[in-house]
Amino acid sequence: MSLNLRIGVLLVALFLLIIVIHVLKKGKIPIKYSLLWFISILILFLVSLVPNTLMLIADIFGFEVMSNMIIGVFLVILLFISISLTIIISDQRQKIILLIQEISLLKEKNNDK
Amino acid sequence: MKILVIIPAYNEEANILNTVKSVLKYNKKYKTNYDIIVINDGSKDQTGQICKNNQIPVIDLIQNLGIGGAVQTGYKYAKNHNYDIAIQFDGDGQHDVTYIKDIIQPIIDNKADMTVGSRFIKKTSNNFYSTTMRRLGINVISFVIKLVTHKKIYDTTSGFRACNKEVINIFANDYPIEYPEPISTVDLLKQNYSVEEVPVLMKERVAGKSSITPFKSAYYMINVILAIIIRGSK
Repeated sequence: MSLNLRIGVLLVALFLLIIVIHVLKKGKIPIKYSLLWFISILILFLVSLVPNTLMLIADIFGFEVMSNMIIGVFLVILLFISISLTIIISDQRQKIILLIQEISLLKEKNNDK
Repeated sequence: MKILVIIPAYNEEANILNTVKSVLKYNKKYKTNYDIIVINDGSKDQTGQICKNNQIPVIDLIQNLGIGGAVQTGYKYAKNHNYDIAIQFDGDGQHDVTYIKDIIQPIIDNKADMTVGSRFIKKTSNNFYSTTMRRLGINVISFVIKLVTHKKIYDTTSGFRACNKEVINIFANDYPIEYPEPISTVDLLKQNYSVEEVPVLMKERVAGKSSITPFKSAYYMINVILAIIIRGSK
């Protein structure tokens, strides 16, 4: 794995870490959602800092070039985040529907009086 | 026995008044006193205003929810007001009010927990069967439901139905927001409630436009089949 690539991944990881901590401090994302990002960032750090162990893993999974595995890792992280977001959105949708129904029922009740 | 007619309506200013009036006429003719609640699903037209001007009980959903969310609001209302039977009756004028007595009879007699007004179980000439493609789609859905629940339901997408108190409670708490007609049927059958079909005739749309296109139909089919299999395997 080339030094340039390792530095690149490291910088991306650092950049993400700064952003996540920043929005977390401002209270823009809840702690439980930030965990997902911290795990993703940790994986990126590992990729950049201990590439030798990763070479081994790359071999096992049949990646011929290390950089392909990095892309693969990114892809898996993104897919995982996408699924999490879909779950979160669906959950919120359910809650919004409930709110709309209950508010509408309440409004009807109040108009009756 | 307290009976409620739930009328979901989205942009039905051309039909809603006639639909409600037909139920009121029915009440007069058969000396019944079914209550009506119109669920105005965030219509952009005058549907809600027309109801208010004519003293028709209406719940104005503050946002559009789609048919599933609208109908569920009706069931919640039925539960809150302690109704014994709830009838679902479309606001677009496709359903024929004279069949209400047929539809609720099996419920009153305790022979079914839910009844579905079906266009397909008894052939009657000169009525609205809808297009060949639509029928094909309905048949496929019917087949998948049979696979999953071992019960043949012919008119799976019919929105003309009635249910008892127990089912009102179930629907008030948990009603499928997506593809509500086939999925709610599957849910009930899976929980060992009885669902019976009652032959009815339906009219073609009196006014307004149906929103179904071929592409949407294919997309609908795939989603419904997937949903039935997933809900059915719970």
